[in-house]
Amino acid sequence: MSYHCPACNKVSHSSLDLARHMIGRGDKVHRDWIYSKGFKYSELLRLQIQSFGGEGFKALSDVLEAETKVED
Amino acid sequence: MSKYSVIGTRVHRVDGVEKVTGTAKYTFDMVLPNMLYGKILRSPHPHAKILSIDTSKAEKLIGVKAVVTGKDTIGKKQGIWRRFPELCDEEILCREKVRYIGDAVAAVAAIDEDTAEEALDLIEVDYEPLPAVFNPMEAITEEAPQIHEGVELNININRHLEWGNVDDAWKDCDHIIEEQYVCSSQAHVCMETHDALASFDHNGKLTIWTSTQAAYYIQVLAADMLGIREGDVRCINPYTGGGFGSKFELDSAQFCAALLSQKIRRPVKIVLNREEEFTATKRRTPMYYFVKLGAKKDGTMLAKEVRVITEGGAYTAMGATALYLTGFFSSFPYKYPNYRYDGYRAYTNTAPTSAMRGFGAPQSTFVGESMIDNLAEDLGIDPIEIRRKNGMTPNYVVPGQAWIQSCGLHECLDAIEKHVKERGKLPPNRGIGVSAYGFMSGGIFNWFDTPYAFSSAIVRINIDGKVDLFTGANEIGQGSNTTLSMICAEALGVKLDDIRIHSADTGICPPDLGAWGSRETLMNGNAVKRAAEDAKNQLIEFAAAKMGINIVYDMDIKDGWIHLVDRPERGVSYYDIVKDAIRGKDGEAIIGRGHYTPHRKGMISPAYSFGVQAAEVEVDPETGRYKLVNVTTAHESGTVINPVGIEGQLEGAIMMAGGYGFCEDQPMDEGKILNPSIADYKLIRALDMPETEILEIDTYEPEGPFGAKEAGEGLTNPTAGAIGNAVYKAAGVRIRHLPITPEKVFRALEAKKKQEK
Repeated sequence: MSYHCPACNKVSHSSLDLARHMIGRGDKVHRDWIYSKGFKYSELLRLQIQSFGGEGFKALSDVLEAETKVED
Repeated sequence: MSKYSVIGTRVHRVDGVEKVTGTAKYTFDMVLPNMLYGKILRSPHPHAKILSIDTSKAEKLIGVKAVVTGKDTIGKKQGIWRRFPELCDEEILCREKVRYIGDAVAAVAAIDEDTAEEALDLIEVDYEPLPAVFNPMEAITEEAPQIHEGVELNININRHLEWGNVDDAWKDCDHIIEEQYVCSSQAHVCMETHDALASFDHNGKLTIWTSTQAAYYIQVLAADMLGIREGDVRCINPYTGGGFGSKFELDSAQFCAALLSQKIRRPVKIVLNREEEFTATKRRTPMYYFVKLGAKKDGTMLAKEVRVITEGGAYTAMGATALYLTGFFSSFPYKYPNYRYDGYRAYTNTAPTSAMRGFGAPQSTFVGESMIDNLAEDLGIDPIEIRRKNGMTPNYVVPGQAWIQSCGLHECLDAIEKHVKERGKLPPNRGIGVSAYGFMSGGIFNWFDTPYAFSSAIVRINIDGKVDLFTGANEIGQGSNTTLSMICAEALGVKLDDIRIHSADTGICPPDLGAWGSRETLMNGNAVKRAAEDAKNQLIEFAAAKMGINIVYDMDIKDGWIHLVDRPERGVSYYDIVKDAIRGKDGEAIIGRGHYTPHRKGMISPAYSFGVQAAEVEVDPETGRYKLVNVTTAHESGTVINPVGIEGQLEGAIMMAGGYGFCEDQPMDEGKILNPSIADYKLIRALDMPETEILEIDTYEPEGPFGAKEAGEGLTNPTAGAIGNAVYKAAGVRIRHLPITPEKVFRALEAKKKQEK
């Protein structure tokens, strides 16, 4: 099972890793995809910054799990 | 008896005589015919629009030869993280907006410094001040002014690391602690301030002499910012009076001198004054740490979660690296099965923060080592024992990140434990704190996007057997010219005196990424060793032919004697063979080439060094004043190339890292640094130095030249943590905000007294 970044095609081993990559990269193409799914990039960052637990990543990873999974 | 002839011997610097006699020439000392002197006008505002710049009065001043502003540039933004264009965010000469007090807006070249200074006063800049934000915790709120367009919440970069399952691991922990720390800024305080002498010739070729840690970077970045080809820029690094991380990006002295020279086609020299050095160059990154740490009752650490917000200042610089490394080294030097790091770098309207010796690791080590002592106390476990229980061992793999081959951490713990016991029962108000650490031997990630090998070297053997070693490595006072000469001599089998090193001149030396991240000994050392071996093999071919030996024999060169390995008495003189070989090659000198780029060594570094430090302090419980009595470090850096060099690095590191832990800080008011002078910036000076001792632990690093690895920056990592732990032992107060000043200790003691009442 692998997860392909919808913005740059980087392959991750989990949807959480892919969420980490997309928020971490944070450039326009990655942000645009995040916006297109109804998220506010700054809101995800705020979730991350405010508490332990990686809540911002988890929120995005739920969407990525459904949309970017590729059977190997 | 050592198997080496040169490696491991106590050698004085190859450039030592020049330096101690004052004949060594630094950029600061250089003068060229027809040379002009440059000065830079800087913003007095932390955040403002530039409405207009009128340079007409300055241009009319007698003696002024050129004035440049942002309009004279090609309008590019520069950055050293070239692989990521959005992180190239610094114009150096601002065109529309200034973002910190000290941002450059104009530069002048004149016949002398006084005239250039006077001309700065005649430049009229019309600013429209903008709301500013100075604290990173405020900068990341919706209400904060936006410092760079399009950067949400002013978050410049975010970095994340995770392995294991942290959320599940908390359930298995018997004890969890959660703490917050603040790590302050620190100035590099190089003896030689940033300076550059730039000279464009009439063919459009530029030569820059400059005090730098990476001549190759300056060549590339200057070419990019001036709109010329890399090959048209030659960067020469003469002797450098200290760098410590502050001198491997293109700076205002280099860029403005080059731009002025490009305009007027005369050499222009700019030397930053000490106030500019404090306010308008980069500095250590302040960090706000939020950490959660969990363990079993027996001290086995199961999970760690780290959240960090760093004060980035106005531009990215090397901040992306510091943000990543502080997260990576927050896991050091322990085997956390579950680990999560989330780091955020916030832009602020303050002087940019960037690399400084240790590169994010002194901060993470201070926090981590303070918390481990707290955890050990809560669990009733000896601080050394808890470190031993969790410490990294050889061949440990940091999941998804790094492969640690050699590791002498446990031997270092044993040595420090013995040292602490030998100190015996301490007098009242004294305490010893320990701190364990690790550090990398050069970085792997190619953020600069260089197409060249990370390090390269060329060895040329001349007719008399003397050797010219050409390397792009940068001697910045750390002793790399000596170390690399020793490696070359050992690999080639000649005397150290036979080597003449030529370094950090992009016109004649092969590229090297420079002196940062403790990379020169391992990376350039490997390149030099390979170049020397290449040259040696060519000589051996000639020697074997001349001697007519059976091809099953191996040959080697040692002490100028080319011989059979199994029968050392059978051989020929190196010096004779050199002459024959050059004749045999149609008169061409023997040239050996070597290069090194790490492969399959993980994300971070090809090798790591380790150590444990014990700091002993004596606290006055009435005033909070304390003194560093003794700092002892058990350290392993693989094979020691030059023991004298390591001793120098260690003493310097204690001075610098002790200052970070004890007194150095850069307080600000509305973005203005309040102590921009040596008089006001408190350093540990020679008379304040504690007694120091080094306990060298033998290890061998398979990836390093002759088994060597770093012994530079890592030594600055443990001291703040060791001091914090020692103050806690001596006075019972835990200071979580660097530096641990006597005032903070006093206030904590007062608070403790109140609480006890």
